[in-house]
Amino acid sequence: MSSLRVFKASAALELAQLRGNRAFVVLTALAAVSFLAMVSLFGLTGAYAPVALIDLDGGPYAKRLVEALLGAHHSFALKSMSPDEARTALYSGRLVGIITIPAGFSADVENGTTVALDVRIDNVNVDLTNDVQRALPAAIVAFGRRHQFPGVRVQMVEHDVIPHDTGYIPYLVVSALALDAMVIAGILGAMATAREFEYGTVKLLRLSPASQAVMLAGKLAVSAAVAASALAVTLVAIVFVYGVVPVAPWTTAFTLLACVAIFTCLGAWIGALLKRTLAAVPLLFGLAMPFYIDSGALEPTRFDGEVIWRIAHLSPVYYAVGVLEWAFHGLRVTPEPIYLNLLVLLAIAVASAALTLGRLSKGVAR
Amino acid sequence: MGPHAQAAGAPISDSPTSEAATVVEVAGVDCSFGRVRALDGLSLRVLQGTVVGIVGPNGAGKTTLIDVICGLIRPDRGTVRVLGQDVAVNASAVRAQIGVLPQETALYDEVTALQNLRFAAALYGIPRPNARITEVLELVGLNSRRKDVVRGFSGGMKRRLAIARALLHDPQLLILDEPTVGVDVEARHQIWAHVRSLRAVGRTFVLTTNYLDEAEALCDRVAILRAGKLIAEDTPAALEARTGRCLELECWHEGAARIYERLRRHSGVLRAEIVDFGLRLYLAVDVSPEDIVHEARAVCSIEGFRTRSPDLAEVFRALTAASAPS
Repeated sequence: MSSLRVFKASAALELAQLRGNRAFVVLTALAAVSFLAMVSLFGLTGAYAPVALIDLDGGPYAKRLVEALLGAHHSFALKSMSPDEARTALYSGRLVGIITIPAGFSADVENGTTVALDVRIDNVNVDLTNDVQRALPAAIVAFGRRHQFPGVRVQMVEHDVIPHDTGYIPYLVVSALALDAMVIAGILGAMATAREFEYGTVKLLRLSPASQAVMLAGKLAVSAAVAASALAVTLVAIVFVYGVVPVAPWTTAFTLLACVAIFTCLGAWIGALLKRTLAAVPLLFGLAMPFYIDSGALEPTRFDGEVIWRIAHLSPVYYAVGVLEWAFHGLRVTPEPIYLNLLVLLAIAVASAALTLGRLSKGVAR
Repeated sequence: MGPHAQAAGAPISDSPTSEAATVVEVAGVDCSFGRVRALDGLSLRVLQGTVVGIVGPNGAGKTTLIDVICGLIRPDRGTVRVLGQDVAVNASAVRAQIGVLPQETALYDEVTALQNLRFAAALYGIPRPNARITEVLELVGLNSRRKDVVRGFSGGMKRRLAIARALLHDPQLLILDEPTVGVDVEARHQIWAHVRSLRAVGRTFVLTTNYLDEAEALCDRVAILRAGKLIAEDTPAALEARTGRCLELECWHEGAARIYERLRRHSGVLRAEIVDFGLRLYLAVDVSPEDIVHEARAVCSIEGFRTRSPDLAEVFRALTAASAPS
């Protein structure tokens, strides 16, 4: 009996079944793009905080303070406004805050008099309040240092660990790929095995003299190919819409395919374990978000504390983000070496495939 | 309908001789699931070219026995040989030579009949699959529906398609687990006709059923299971003879009760039961019904009587009642 023929027949059957579920497959693939949009929105949240600047002075020091403010926090969107306009906007929820540079500011600074800057903040969310509380002193220090005012004795000298900076959105979109791989490949893998139990066809597989490993490989190859196509669309959007280009394109492609294969196997095991598509899909979606958040998706998990970092090791997305950030941006976001992350992912795939085979052939004498 | 199909209900002829090869030999098989003993010291032989029916109440162990024969379940004790091979040693090779119709049909609903059979053909390594697929679809009368999605098939069509799949690799032994459950009368008779036509060309069948008329119509031998034990195994005629000739007496209810009291300890009466029209008696072969009627008339007036052979349902009731665990 030809293994290749069994593989091809299993793949053809899986493809035919997915064709019969076109709407589900298309919507699942769309989830890949929606996750990208989701993480982008996450990154953009708070990145554009409209703050009114009322310059009642208009002098040279006032202008330099504005420059210092602009450089102090990237998320401020400073808008020059009149006092009345700003007040109306603040109380109608269209502004985060109002910074007022008082009349006579430049003269007072020139004379060495301490000046009070009036700041009104919409403290609907303490995060925004904290942003303003951090940004203003930083801007004032930068302003003072620039003009070599007495009393400013310390200044920051920055030395970067990594030779290039990575923007927050470019950092986040890579984790979206890991999330996509888990959800899309996981669901398609789960469908491939859960359906066998739902239709009772697992008995046909158990009764057949053909290798179940080959049958499973054929089915999962199609699931992985469909998931990889969905990820390819997301990758194209990242490169051409977001303008984020991987530093190592081939390595990125390889690691993405590896992640797809691994999560397909993991999904297949979940499908074989639960035996129902309707149970497997919400479980995978439900696992995705905590796994994603605790994976180094938003920042290296190591920085979130020992407990969270240890818990992160339970999440396959942690290892996937580790290898993908390395492949995409050349970043090491886990204390573990990349090869170890890859090995753990490989072990998850092998264990999942073995457990899936065990479930499919439970009780079968060979 | 294939070229070998016979009319539904036609009797099976050409019973195999005792020299026929043994296709299935189950010897002293025990099988337990936790505390439940599904098979208890069960032994059974199936000869080539015969149809053997396994009947029994739900939970009797019918499907477990099928799974043990197919090598899907390893028995705790005992041996199973199929087509000369020990299932425990070479289950994969055994499965390549048997065709199975599972109880739940196990078809892929979202694809066509043809795609279902192509997949099965690959699993069994069938050379020139298209010709063989056409052949089996013709046999079960579904060739014109080959490109239709299975989801739209009726229960009977699904059963016939599953039979076609079981036949695809031309197996010597066919195992049908409740082949007509949930199908209408016409489809049931079509399936019977397929079984008869295949048996006529030398195929061996093991089938489980809850329908005793099915066992009576199709099977050369019937094995009756109860609580994992084989309580009887013989030809339908021999099993019926074992229950005794049936004598039905028409009389008033009070009269029936009095006759029952009088005759139930009679050595020639194997069993007696009061029924709505009077009394039903199962008589030993050496007892004359006329003598019994004469004795009954001495007790009360008898409006009429008739004798007949018991059917398999009565045999089954008698045997399973006799062996019921206390």
